[in-house]
Amino acid sequence: MVTAIPSAVPNDAFSASPSHSPYEASTQHKHWRYSRTALDEQRASLNSAAVHVIRNAFEIDDPGSSNAISFLSPADEYLLVKLYISKVGQLCAHFHMPEVVEATACSYIRRFYLRNTVMDWHPKNVMLTAIFLASKTTNHPIPLEQYASHIPNTTPSDVLDLEFLVAQSLGFEFVVWHAHRALWGIYLDTQTLPDISFHTIHDAYIASVAHVRASRLSDAELIYTPSQIALACFHIAAPVLAEQWAKAKGESDVISLLPAISDMILQEGKPPDLERVREIDKRLKICKNPEKVVGTKAYLKKQAEEEAKAKEKREKKAAEIRALEDARDPFGGELDPEGAAKIERAKQLDEDDD
Amino acid sequence: MDAVERANQERAKKWTKEAKIGEGTYAVVYRGREAATGAPVAIKKIKVGQFKDGLDMSAVREVQYLRELSHPNVIKLLDVYSSKANLNLVLEFLDSDLEAVIKDRSNVFLPADIKSWMAMTLRGLEFCHRNWILHRDLKPNNLLIGANGELKLADFGLARDCADPGSKLTSQVITRWYRPPELLFGARFYSSAVDIWSVGCIFAELMLRTPYLPGESDMDQLKTIFRALGTPSEEDWPGHTSLPNYVTLDHFPKSPLKLLFTAASADALDLLGKLLIYEPLRRISAKDALHHPYFFALPYPTHPSKLPKTTVPMAPRELQEEANGLGDRTVTKPGRSLKRKASDGGGPERVARSAARRLEF
Repeated sequence: MVTAIPSAVPNDAFSASPSHSPYEASTQHKHWRYSRTALDEQRASLNSAAVHVIRNAFEIDDPGSSNAISFLSPADEYLLVKLYISKVGQLCAHFHMPEVVEATACSYIRRFYLRNTVMDWHPKNVMLTAIFLASKTTNHPIPLEQYASHIPNTTPSDVLDLEFLVAQSLGFEFVVWHAHRALWGIYLDTQTLPDISFHTIHDAYIASVAHVRASRLSDAELIYTPSQIALACFHIAAPVLAEQWAKAKGESDVISLLPAISDMILQEGKPPDLERVREIDKRLKICKNPEKVVGTKAYLKKQAEEEAKAKEKREKKAAEIRALEDARDPFGGELDPEGAAKIERAKQLDEDDD
Repeated sequence: MDAVERANQERAKKWTKEAKIGEGTYAVVYRGREAATGAPVAIKKIKVGQFKDGLDMSAVREVQYLRELSHPNVIKLLDVYSSKANLNLVLEFLDSDLEAVIKDRSNVFLPADIKSWMAMTLRGLEFCHRNWILHRDLKPNNLLIGANGELKLADFGLARDCADPGSKLTSQVITRWYRPPELLFGARFYSSAVDIWSVGCIFAELMLRTPYLPGESDMDQLKTIFRALGTPSEEDWPGHTSLPNYVTLDHFPKSPLKLLFTAASADALDLLGKLLIYEPLRRISAKDALHHPYFFALPYPTHPSKLPKTTVPMAPRELQEEANGLGDRTVTKPGRSLKRKASDGGGPERVARSAARRLEF
């Protein structure tokens, strides 16, 4: 298998565990790899679960009302998400954020919608939060006020409200291995091959960078490794050079894998048709989850449920402390240090999660 | 309820908190258990709601690096869940730390004991460096020790990756006594060698039973270092005079380490000398240090279970004024130009000193 960052990782770094590259120990390799079928199934099941929930919520608001609604299909959802992924670059450039922020934010959005549906959370807001979070996780943080003030109709709390949800949906797995880093490694590596002019290599690299950017609009990163994607992009730009590199690395086998990846990048790697997305967004305005829309009956019902639950918890805790106090020696702490300590412990316990 | 929130609650139910063992303005630490097995854990609750920029950078760092690292000598992050607006990190429970063991005067350290702690520290660190992660806050207090004697690197709140050689980093890291001279001179491009210097200081402290280079201020720290190891010449450390905060200091002569470390073996002194080489590029790497003859000579390292422990219970960790709550930020400024920066992280890093306090755990 091709390692993730070819030149950045010297071979002897593997000596301690020859069978595993650092990439293979990453959360990306362990938790964010799918087959095409598994990916499609995941999106389909998320979508049907969401439709089921929202249908019920509509029925609560107004019985019979859900029949007339045209819910989004998994393909609709994906197109909408893809549109917003395609906008990340523009926004990051506005803030002069380096490419790693852009690439990380794109991965966050893509991963977020493997756990959530656009009918609950609109990708526009998720995109803004994903970029903000990515700027922190890649060590290029920007003050929130400044960030929000440069985006029309956006307040700091719009960005912050979703931060926790996004972090949670990512499983707090913030590190993303990127194809553009792997490509940089290939670029450096090829410069050590004999008899190739630097110009040839550099031109190939520049052309490949465009393909890597396009690959972010495809599902490639959920199916292939960053180094495989990078090599596929390099192969589109300069097939002979790419094969020479693979041979020099003793990785010629990987070449047979490349056409499938290249096809995916060339076919999927462009922004979706705006008219189609506009139509989807129009339907989304009607079929979004009413539990998330402030003021609807479904929203109020959910709020009331949550408040009741929290109240019950608080009362339970107060009752526990009272019971302990009653059980305690009435002549006070010094004579009954054990009882006092018990009460102290109960009071200290974290009210967030009893 | 959303699937994500449901999954979070499922995770939260797996852990119970028992008693508070430390508190700071940014986090509270509880002793807790895994509900199913009763196994002890530490739960670090980070208060998130109070930060105007959302999830705090040191929390983000701690979570992101510990999520990726899995090694016997690095503290394990068992789980992460949220409760209300708080982030809970479930960590392996370790009852002591190297600082407490060093300070416990009833302990006698054999050379083999020191070798064992050094081997475990360097193994954990070599693993971090192999994964392109700098720890940037190594000190005895952050080397936790489990009931079985195993030592683990902890507190990754200042850690960051170093895979990109062009990126500018902040020099305001590492607790002063363990901070290498290049950082004291304000170097903004540095490497894994910064952690190695800290390991050198820890090695010396294990032999002396007292901090080796306890400077009282950043300036005094440099003087303390030079008094102990001699003021570096241009030959010892080419180019150091052009570092941003370079200052000329008194000239102290070099004296052999043997004079202070009278009981140390020749191998031990050789390794110590290589960990404390002034020029960062020549300072020994974690991997080479593990292959140093010191570790292959007699006496062999003590088995972790037989190492000296301390009966003194681990005190709640004191709160430290954090030198750089914001760490190395590249504050990106918005502008009209759509031009992208040439490379990742090429921007200026603003070293922001914040008053944020951090709980050491």
